[in-house]
Amino acid sequence: MSYEVGAFGGFVGATRRDDGKLVHVFWLSAMACDGCSVVALGANQPRIEELTLGEIPGLPQIVLHHPMLSEDAGAGFMQAYRAAADGTLNAPYILIMEGSIPDDQSLGGPGYYAAMGTGSDWPQSKGNVAAPDQPVKVSDWVWALAPGAEVCIAMGTCATWGGIPAAAGNITGSMGLTDYLGADYRSKRGLPVVNVPGCPPVGDNFTEVLKELLFYFEGGRGLPAFDELGRAVWQFGETVHRHCMKAGYYEEGVFAHEPGDNQCLVEIGCWGPVVQCNITERGAQDHTGGCMIAGGACIGCTMPGFPDKFSPFYKAPPGSAISGTTSRITGGAIRRLRRASMANANTEPLWDKAHEIPTAWGRAADVTNPVRKVNAFFYKKLQYSGSVNHAKRAKQQPLPLSRDILRQKGIDLEASVPVLQEHLITREEL
Amino acid sequence: MSTQTLAAPGTHSGAGARNLRFNPVTRVSGGLHLHAAADFGGTRTVSDAVAMATAFRGYEVILNGRDARDAVFISSRACGVCGNAHSTAGALAVEMACGVSPPPQGVVARNFLSAAECMIDHPSHLFLRAGPDYSEPVVRETSPELWSRAESTPAAGAAVHGFARVSDIMTALTRNSGFLYREALHMTRIARVAYVVIGGKYPHPQTITPGGLSSTVDTTDYNITLLRIVKYLDYSRKTVAVWDDIADFFYQADQRYGQVGAGPMNFIDLGLWDDPHTVGGPSGFGETRWSSPGAIVNGALQTTSVREIDAGVEEFVEHSFFENWSGGGYSHDAGGNPLSSRHPSNKQTIAQPGNPNPDGKYSWSTAARWQGHPMETGAQARMWATALARRPHGSFVESTGRSVRMNMPSGEMPANVLEWQAPQRWNAFERNRARAYALAQATLAAYETVVIGLDLARRGGSNARIFNPYKIPKDGVSGAGYWGGARGFVSHHMQIDGRVIENYQIVGPSTFSGSPRDAAGTPGPCEAAVMATPLVSSDPTEHGIDVLRAVRSFDLCMYCAAQ
Repeated sequence: MSYEVGAFGGFVGATRRDDGKLVHVFWLSAMACDGCSVVALGANQPRIEELTLGEIPGLPQIVLHHPMLSEDAGAGFMQAYRAAADGTLNAPYILIMEGSIPDDQSLGGPGYYAAMGTGSDWPQSKGNVAAPDQPVKVSDWVWALAPGAEVCIAMGTCATWGGIPAAAGNITGSMGLTDYLGADYRSKRGLPVVNVPGCPPVGDNFTEVLKELLFYFEGGRGLPAFDELGRAVWQFGETVHRHCMKAGYYEEGVFAHEPGDNQCLVEIGCWGPVVQCNITERGAQDHTGGCMIAGGACIGCTMPGFPDKFSPFYKAPPGSAISGTTSRITGGAIRRLRRASMANANTEPLWDKAHEIPTAWGRAADVTNPVRKVNAFFYKKLQYSGSVNHAKRAKQQPLPLSRDILRQKGIDLEASVPVLQEHLITREEL
Repeated sequence: MSTQTLAAPGTHSGAGARNLRFNPVTRVSGGLHLHAAADFGGTRTVSDAVAMATAFRGYEVILNGRDARDAVFISSRACGVCGNAHSTAGALAVEMACGVSPPPQGVVARNFLSAAECMIDHPSHLFLRAGPDYSEPVVRETSPELWSRAESTPAAGAAVHGFARVSDIMTALTRNSGFLYREALHMTRIARVAYVVIGGKYPHPQTITPGGLSSTVDTTDYNITLLRIVKYLDYSRKTVAVWDDIADFFYQADQRYGQVGAGPMNFIDLGLWDDPHTVGGPSGFGETRWSSPGAIVNGALQTTSVREIDAGVEEFVEHSFFENWSGGGYSHDAGGNPLSSRHPSNKQTIAQPGNPNPDGKYSWSTAARWQGHPMETGAQARMWATALARRPHGSFVESTGRSVRMNMPSGEMPANVLEWQAPQRWNAFERNRARAYALAQATLAAYETVVIGLDLARRGGSNARIFNPYKIPKDGVSGAGYWGGARGFVSHHMQIDGRVIENYQIVGPSTFSGSPRDAAGTPGPCEAAVMATPLVSSDPTEHGIDVLRAVRSFDLCMYCAAQ
């Protein structure tokens, strides 16, 4: 592979695979923050450069036209947008929308809330929207480019459902791409808008959907599964709570009282049980992080109701009063039973037999506790019924003779024990 | 449709006169429209320039009338690169209003997130946004005279970065396929992992809250972060070597490159990385930040007091799509410093969309000034303030009054000292060079915070506390948050009444750097830098590469400039 120096014009991109097909990807940003672009650059499954360099077998190489990444600026950058809107690009293209779309088409006077390119970059075949030296509204590029696109992908919660720029009190009249294009919109391939929500989305959710659609367009495969709102089913088909590593706390009825606590975050404002998102399964980056995994309460940023239907933040959702109380009662009982079983699992059969736990850490449970012994007796009965009773077999096992070797050899190490005890960190009861 | 044109005053005439119209200027964050009058003929100069922020979302207006608890998560979304800085500034503002500050572990975790944000953004700027301007395809097209020179110029930093000749560096800077381009993507993913362990997600963290964080950080979390940060020790050394070599090559090829993006040495920064042991104390409030607060005019340090820095800030809208406001009840700040009626805490956001006109209104950004001066923000301002402030700056960084000495521990490469010297001239190359050194500064800050954080986590108990409870009072209160992103200066100003936000104001780094002209007609720093730029490169296609290098060297973020 080698770069083409003459391609600096930005039309084809600096690098081109010798044999492959090209699909252009046009990025539009309106009421955005660049956060969606930033997560796209962080994606690993696949990586953006694997797509732009055509490194995935069976996929076309994409030519990414992106205001934050492209080589050329101004008219040189806009000429591909113009050609696509004009129908003269002579190559398939995909439209990516970042940010919501302001209602600036309906501004009474001059002006715009988001602009890209000037009137001289605009194809005359689409009418006259701005004088040659005046900025063109991004909302104009959207209606001009959407019908000819193979597919439109709304990237992030602003583009999908309006997001924060569309929140109560806004003065831009912002809305999501689906609202702007309307219920009748179909892409050139017959698809409604594909939505990848999140504020920001998981970067991999975006590049994965893009990759799946590219595979689909290559033919021979079915359409990836999208739900009734155009979200990838395999990404948004579950609530974020179901894969949350703190869901176990909820199950046992223990809740965080304040930020920084380890337990389930519902009572400090987590909406996870009613939010469709996969960040607890996929992580935020390379299977690491993710809101609740790091201790952050879910504020519903993937949902059409975000942000107003989740405000005020840091306040328990109303529904949690019922579900939380129920969980405290049933989960609390289950938790206590589990701790009893856990205490049994926390001793070697050897310790049960010797009636002691030979450790200077000193915090291991007391194996001679009678309640514990009764518990363990019935537990083993149930566990081994219909199978082999290993407790019985362990009892018949002789104690190893070289057990406690230092005492047998007369080596005295007791001096170190009290020092160690002082440093023990007491942990809250599980 | 308006018939006003964008032809800037003072347009050149003659055969080489061109109107450079970059809408958008690519490879900056957010929408930037730059219009400059250039002469590619005899004078090879730029006579006028206007920088226009082309998007407005109304974050300040959206925040007004919301529950004060919404401030952090909503204001974070003002910028998708500097989200960490905005959520932290929002949290600091609420904290000031409620009279609470985070415990040491909370300070440590916030410091870490801010350092990690720099470790993601600085390489993203240097190699994804600015880097391609110095890459082989661009140099060959815009200054073919330099390419053969680069091929025969040995790279001084070869032992560190591994590129034998300057042309090898340029090849590696090529967009998409170049080694340094791809390495930057790879390295930022490593820093992102470190970030999300504590922040939950990036760029909009989910764990920053007034009173500290909700992060459940333990030894494992700090372990994951530590092992990723140390990869940046060598990467910082390498990044510095690359940008040292690029600057030196262009200076030697043609002295006039020293004028590309030239500007006065005016810098403003609120400081970063609070000292975890003194932040709540009486002398706290920014004075002990590892990267010093500072306002610098013409290369001379004016103050390191956060209060004095803030009190000198004014925002002008004579050339912005806003109506001027009247009123505002703050004549003095809490420290007794007088405040102008143009100070952010007195400001009202009243949008007035229109078509751009260089003689009238043309940008969605206000024009932020400090004591009337246009100021630069960002990594370069941090380096300047740290160098000149001459105060302790953590365990690894020394300030000599004229330079920043960074004691870099060993990675795969041996330990060494990186020293950034405040330069004699100020231009696009120096901005990029300073940003490369700032990556080392951020890496050391991240490293030190994690070491402290690990210690606190190991000690457990109250040391591990990361949050202090707060209560938003019912009576009217106000607060401000002073912090910084990778791009520098971020301040949030809020007034709360009945626990509801009455007025919220945000000043971002590019509200200074990327600003339009102010009430006095003084151009913003980026506009001035473009006008100072000689068209040095032969640029046969009249691409305007020198102008673009000047603009991109600021690492502008127009979403921060115009929220």
